[in-house]
Amino acid sequence: MSDLQTGPAPGGPVVTGQAPGGPEKTDPVGPSSPADDAEAPRRWTRHLAFSNIGAVYVLGALVVIFSIWVPQTFLTSATLYQVFNSNAVTALAALSVIIPLSARVFDLSIGGTITLTGVVVTQAIVKYELGIATAILLALLVGVLIGVLNAVIVVVLKIDSFIATMASGALLAAFTTMVTGDLDVTGVVLSQGFNEVGQFMVGGITLPVVYVAVVTVVLWFVLQQTAFGRRMYATGFNKEAARLSGVPTERLRFASLVISGGLAGLAGIVLAGTLAAGSVTAGTPYLLGAFAAAFLGATQLQHGRFNAFGTIIAVLLLGTGVVGLGLAQAPTWSQDLFTGVVLIVALIATRYQRAGTANATVGH
Amino acid sequence: MPVTPTTSPDADTRPGERPRERATDGALALSVRGLTKTFGAAQVLRGVDLDVRAGEVHAFIGANGSGKSTTIKVLAGYHPADEARCEVNGEEVGLTTRVAKRHDSLRFVHQDLGQVPELSAVDNIALSHGYVRSRFGAIDWKAQRELTRRALARFGTRIDIELPLASHSAVVRTELAISAAMHGWDAGQGVLVLDEPTAMLPPTQVERLFDVVRSIRASGAGVLYVSHRLDEIFALADRVSVIRAGVVVATYDVGDVTAEQLADEMVGEQGSSVRQNAKSGSVADEVVLRAEGLTGRTMRGIDLELRRGEVLGIAGLVGSGSEEVPYAVTGRLTGPRGGRVTVTDGSRPTDIPLVPGNRIAEGVFLEASVAENLSISSLGSISRGPRLSVRRERTVVADWIRRLGIAAPGADAPISTLSGGNQQKVVLARCLNRSPQILAMSEPTAGVDIATRARIYDLVTREAADGLSVVVTSSDPQDLVALCARVLVVRDGRVVEELAGDDVAEHTIIRAIEGISAA
Repeated sequence: MSDLQTGPAPGGPVVTGQAPGGPEKTDPVGPSSPADDAEAPRRWTRHLAFSNIGAVYVLGALVVIFSIWVPQTFLTSATLYQVFNSNAVTALAALSVIIPLSARVFDLSIGGTITLTGVVVTQAIVKYELGIATAILLALLVGVLIGVLNAVIVVVLKIDSFIATMASGALLAAFTTMVTGDLDVTGVVLSQGFNEVGQFMVGGITLPVVYVAVVTVVLWFVLQQTAFGRRMYATGFNKEAARLSGVPTERLRFASLVISGGLAGLAGIVLAGTLAAGSVTAGTPYLLGAFAAAFLGATQLQHGRFNAFGTIIAVLLLGTGVVGLGLAQAPTWSQDLFTGVVLIVALIATRYQRAGTANATVGH
Repeated sequence: MPVTPTTSPDADTRPGERPRERATDGALALSVRGLTKTFGAAQVLRGVDLDVRAGEVHAFIGANGSGKSTTIKVLAGYHPADEARCEVNGEEVGLTTRVAKRHDSLRFVHQDLGQVPELSAVDNIALSHGYVRSRFGAIDWKAQRELTRRALARFGTRIDIELPLASHSAVVRTELAISAAMHGWDAGQGVLVLDEPTAMLPPTQVERLFDVVRSIRASGAGVLYVSHRLDEIFALADRVSVIRAGVVVATYDVGDVTAEQLADEMVGEQGSSVRQNAKSGSVADEVVLRAEGLTGRTMRGIDLELRRGEVLGIAGLVGSGSEEVPYAVTGRLTGPRGGRVTVTDGSRPTDIPLVPGNRIAEGVFLEASVAENLSISSLGSISRGPRLSVRRERTVVADWIRRLGIAAPGADAPISTLSGGNQQKVVLARCLNRSPQILAMSEPTAGVDIATRARIYDLVTREAADGLSVVVTSSDPQDLVALCARVLVVRDGRVVEELAGDDVAEHTIIRAIEGISAA
């Protein structure tokens, strides 16, 4: 993976007591020479540092804890599959918000989008008797159109994205109820092919896990390996500086919401396939989980940047906790407790880690 | 109380020119002696002596970097002084600590007024002095409104005190800020410091502010009036002190001094003689950029022509319109704007790279690395197909780090770990890496150390010799003298004068932007 975004060597020794604000902070000759040979061996330790992939270590600790707590049920391949399969839609929802978040744009309408596209795809099959492929394409198109609508409100009409997408999410919920009469879309026909979109198994793994893998790799490539991704981050870091250095910030912000609309549409279709039904409320619970995973994921791998693999690590960490607690038959509130504690601890840890790097990073 | 004659370390070096203190009535409301302040290795204040009498308006002027703002910030308690003796109304006040408030008799109105424009007058006054509480701890709105009305009545300001401040005129906001600063002040017993109170005022409202300042003087208080504008000093002040290179070099009665003398004092001896040599080189006749009728928030119709290999300077005070020019010629102005910019080779103005005036707000991405900051404007050229070539980026960045002597722990280090001067070099490298024909710069050396400043001058001069055309605005005449063979002077939104050749000197520039006719 690109080494460029990783900032200072987090695993390296941290020099403290540097006088802040001095005009020449370091010797420009030594460390600035690019791509030292000496850098290569250090990369491994750097990537494995707790500050880089702390959630992986916490995940390891969780596995150990649950293995001791509920040894008969936790340490089975079924648990592994359950963690993967039951979190695929959450992962898709979380992945859908990381591009807008990179550009510091919120898309809080994804819950509504997931619900509506699920209803659209099932309605199209049940009521309008469209083919499965056509119905899926139609629902994806609806997701993209919702993204365009959000983008017009946020970028063209210049409304703050947080409140604008919260409002459009409410509109989507109203629209869903209006067209369905608040009744879930069901039908035998949904279990005759369409359900395979969400339920088809390959060696214990369902198809949605495969979609997640594909989307993750694509988003990783786009955000970490292309000019588009770099400009997206630049827009999020400092919109004015990005604009003045020639980055088309408004176009990128527009695109980010279209992308999140499309990906949330995909999540909605997959969810409908998993349920073999179009639920009129199913999308809502995914909103908070998606943002939790995206923010927790930003603390991983890329030091504060929203990124695809970090998001997946976060989904697995939160998912493992929830599945483990379920197997241990802990009270149901313990799952929310777990999610809340993990999020707060992760964000606090990142904050202190970054304050540390800001004060004393110079030198190796 | 005897009046202490104002002297300064180098006052004796130029005898005869300076009419010293004329003893007049008026006790000293503020007396500062030997104020020194060092930041890191740089001594910014080298022994400032300053007296403000009760019942006078005392102007305090100096060029950028003279130590003017630092003096005010030490007095306000924002910076601790290294050493100083200070008396307010004859009472000893320590300046060597950092405090929220130095002395109840020292009041400040800072340039940004310290207001929250979304809140009403009532709330803004309460922000600095707390709310009046009723018995149960709730805000006593009636008393609070009454208090606000009383504060505003001082200057006869009549406004709806419930409206957000943003809906009032600039002068009303200034009056409110002064009222708030004077709240609970036993007038006549201290000094009010006004830091460039007219910088943001339209010309038509300045006189109204002057009346406010005069009424404060009449109440017996001293006013320390910080300004860039010499014309205001003659309209308003009784005495004026000039600070240069961390020392108050002269104090005059305003009646005994001319604007030319003050301009000369601000610049000092060396200013007129130091001229860069490399710049008067080969400017072709070929026009590369033409701007016609540029308008904006402050520009009111600016025309200019830029020739190949020329560094064209734009001079003007803050608010004159000069600061908008680099943004306008690069098509980056937001808000109200008009006029036409033509690049003669047919490319778009937005393709011209810009070094923005405010490095932190508009220049750098503090959360990103040196490499990412440098390459953001030329990602296309370091891509192979859709993919960024990390290797190519490293080569380019390492090249610029070497060329500009950027002191950085590495290309991957966060740019926030670099000093301001080195951050500025990265921004400049970002622009030059696009191999532009034209470059626009705003305040290229603001907050930059001396060594970097020299390096930036050198680099731009050499690029211009190779055919780069540059438009540069700077509030620091030194930049323009070092870089430009031709300078357009902007006042009130229009180009009023063109300086070329030997006329591009600090004295002439300062006189021109102030509107003092050449002697």
